[in-house]
Order: sequence, then structure tokens, then C-alpha cells
Amino acid sequence: MIVVEDLHVYYGNIHAIKGISFEVQTGEITALIGANGAGKSTTIKCICGLLSPREGKILLDGSPIQRMSADQVVRWGVGLVPEGRRVFPVLTVDENLEVGAYGRSDKRGIAQDREKIYEMFPRIKDRRKQYAGSLSGGEQQMLAIARALMSKPQMLLMDEPSLGLAPLLVNQVFEIITQLNKDGMTILLSEQNARSALEIAHHGIVMETGKVRFADTAKALKENPVVQQAYLGVG
Amino acid sequence: MSVTSIFFQTLIGGIGIGSLYALVALGYSMTFRSMGLVNFAQGSIYMVGTYFGIIWYQGMVMNLHVPYAVAFLIGLLCNALLGIVLERIFRPLAKLDLMLMLLATIGLGFILDNLFTIIFGATGFAVDSPLPNTPWNIFGVRVLPQMALLIGVSFALMIGNQLFLSKTKWGRAMRASAMDFEIARAMGIPTNRMNALALSIGCMMSAAAGILAAPIVYVSPSMGVAVGLKGFAAAILGGLGSVPGAIAGGLVYGVLEALSAGYISSTWTQAIAYIVMVVVLMVKPSGIVGEITVEKV
Repeated sequence: MIVVEDLHVYYGNIHAIKGISFEVQTGEITALIGANGAGKSTTIKCICGLLSPREGKILLDGSPIQRMSADQVVRWGVGLVPEGRRVFPVLTVDENLEVGAYGRSDKRGIAQDREKIYEMFPRIKDRRKQYAGSLSGGEQQMLAIARALMSKPQMLLMDEPSLGLAPLLVNQVFEIITQLNKDGMTILLSEQNARSALEIAHHGIVMETGKVRFADTAKALKENPVVQQAYLGVG
Repeated sequence: MSVTSIFFQTLIGGIGIGSLYALVALGYSMTFRSMGLVNFAQGSIYMVGTYFGIIWYQGMVMNLHVPYAVAFLIGLLCNALLGIVLERIFRPLAKLDLMLMLLATIGLGFILDNLFTIIFGATGFAVDSPLPNTPWNIFGVRVLPQMALLIGVSFALMIGNQLFLSKTKWGRAMRASAMDFEIARAMGIPTNRMNALALSIGCMMSAAAGILAAPIVYVSPSMGVAVGLKGFAAAILGGLGSVPGAIAGGLVYGVLEALSAGYISSTWTQAIAYIVMVVVLMVKPSGIVGEITVEKV
């Protein structure tokens, strides 16, 4: 479980995150929704250690992680699927997965997990010896998810996984997220596609200009008239 | 001597000096690809590495005359440590403006050059060859044993480096962090340590070049100036940041130099090599090997 307490993040003098607090429950999908620039990506980057907050706490199962660097946080079981996929373009698919398992030293376990992950993503298995940069956008997104899974995380941070994908692929990605969650993965899902995100999430957090506007169950958010109007395109 | 054997004689000389440039060019490329920084102190690092090894071999420390191979390893080890220190110095620089970065590395080069002039004096010395000075005759081409050693060991080091980068876990991690520093870190890779490793390897290559060349060239605190510039030219020629490019660039540059000295005029060597470099870059700005870009299938 992740608890974020009164988090403040600055880019230089710009106050990007203005004291947000929320929780991500173990075993759930929590959707982080909001418009472009609301601070979703900044929040994700902060949790995984790529940014450090000026104030506030991030507790992972009770331990503070807000001062850890990203390479330490991943060892605590937090995997990242970054915005824009960002696979290593001039490494092969296989090599990308190996890099995902960098913090592990159980060679046999890594090989087994890789095959297991290939079963989940047969399309990238066919391309395992190709450079990741030569894959299509959808395949790269699968690879980015697969790469994050290689570190055997307890929890996944997913930053806009549906961005820039064709509708059919968007559905596929959401199916994968649902399946991962059914298998026990805790997921924090940042999405501009609020409707789809709330469809599969248990809880939702709505961010606006660096603040949490609403935090509730996904069901309650879907029925909230303000959320409906601003994010779900209803009425 | 026949025309062909003169040609091969020149070619061997070019490959010899070219492998020297290639090793120094590797130093530039390893630093650039990992930290995005052109280290103009690379020539000085080459000089420093030479001294670190050769002073033991020449009995300049407590009159010890250690075997050449041991001195070689000491030089490599000392320069590897220097690489780790350099990463710490360069870390804040990598975030700065290009101009500040250039000034700082050039300044570092001056500091090293002057430091070694203070310690060892400005005049250099010749180094005894560890191998016999009588050239071998291979199919009518005469090759100095030390030159053969320089070429052989350089190639072994370059191949070893390539295998390390492509086959090992650390090599993969280094390539990943060179491609995307931030995401590599989020995958659990300690990127600063990877940079230190890349710089260490680059510094070791330069030390190897210097110690191998020392019995052929002349060792002095200013020996790195010309080699540093040519190594940089070679790195650019091959495609800055590319490892195979640095090797290709170094060899091409060395051979060009030797051919123009042998067939045109040794006074024009530098100019001709540079002109060819400029022409190559005008035709193909990314260098001979250039960046590896991926074609979409």
C-alpha cells in the first residue's frame, strides 16, 4: 500500500504539486485522472524516485521512500511503465527485458519469468531478437509493461499507457491491466482516458492543477456530476 | 623494395598509429555516450596513463624496474581509478551548458599537463623497448615487434570492450543508461556507477595506448596534445559516441596520415588528414559508422 501525505513538488520556482494526499490500496487498481498538466506524471515520477518532493511523505507499506533514488525504489518492489513507453530503442526485445531484471541475480528465475511474460505477450515474443525501436507503438507498450514486470514488482506505476495507441490496442492494454490486477498486482494508473480508467479501477483520484479535487471509489466518481461533466463527457 | 611492399609497409605503419588513435577515440566516445560530455582532457589522460605505467618500467620510482607487462597493468589500474574520480568531477558538469563543460574539461587537461610538468620536468625521455629492436620480415614487409604488439593488444582490447558491452549484464546496463538515463535508473540501474565504469574503461584504453606506444614515441608531459586532438578527430570521423565508429575512425585516420606522409609529403600530413575528415563529414555528418538508428519494420 502506498500512502502519499501532503506532497509538494517544485520545478525550479514553479509549484507543480501543491500538497496532495491519497492512498493506493494493496490489490486494487487506483486510477489517477485529470487533464494534461494536472500533475499526474509528476506524481508518478515522485513515487518512483525520479523526482524528489520538497515537502511531504510517500510511505510504501509504512516505510518512507520519498528520499530514495529511483534505482533503490525499484528494489522495494515498485515497477514503472513510463509515459511514452520509452523502451531502449537500440537494445533487442530480449535485452530490454534483461535490463528490466537488472536488480535481480537469480538467473534461472529471470529466464523463467521471461518465458512466462512472453506467454502473456506473444506478439513481442515473435520479435525478441529485434531492436525495440523497430516495434510498433502497441508492441512497444507491451514491451514497456513486460519490462516493468521483469523486476518482480509488488506494484506497478503506469503513466498514460493508452496514449497514442489505436482504439483496438487501447482495449488490449486495459485488458492486460485488468488481468495483472486479477493476478494480485497493485496498480496506480495515470490516465487521460478517464472513462476507460474508471471502468476498470476500484478507486479514483481526480487531479486539477496540482491538487486532488476528488478521491473516491470509481463507482462514486462515475456518478459524480462534476466528474461526469468535466471528464466523462456526460451531459 | 617493390611498390606493393612499400604500400604495405606504409599501411602497417598507418594501422599502428591508427590503433593508437582508435584507443584514444574510444575514450572520447565512451565519455560522450554515457554522459553527453566531450572530454577535452582525454589527451592529457593518455599522457598521465603513460606515466603511471612507464615510471615503474623505467625505474623512476625507487629504482624499481618492474617487467613491462606488470607496468602496463599498473598503468591501466591507475587510470581506471582516475576514471572513477573524473566521473565524480564531471557529474555536476553534465547538467551544465556546453560551453562550461568544454572550458572545464580543457582546464582539467591544463591542470594535468602542468602537474606532470612540475613533477617530471618538461623534457621527456625515450623508453627502452621491452621487445627486440630488430624488425621482423613478414612477406617483405618489415614490422617492429613493438609495433606488432601495439596493433595486437589494441585489437584485443577493442574486441574485448565490444564483447563486454554487447554480452554482459553490465555492458547491457551501460548501453541502456547511455540511451535513456532516467528510465535506466527507474529499472534499477545505478547510472552514476555505470558512467564511472564507462569513464574508467575509456581512461584504461588511453593508458594502454600510451604505454604500448611509449617505446616507439617519446614520453613527455606534452605528448598528449597532438594525440588528444587526433583522437577527437578520429572519434568525430567515426561518429562521436559510437564504439565501432571510434575504432573505424582511428584506423582510417591513422592510415590516411601514413599514406599522405608516404606518398605526398610529410609536411602536409596533418592538413590532408583533416581535409579528408572535413570532406567525409560534409558528405555524412554522422560519421563513418554514425548513430545506430532503427528502421521501422
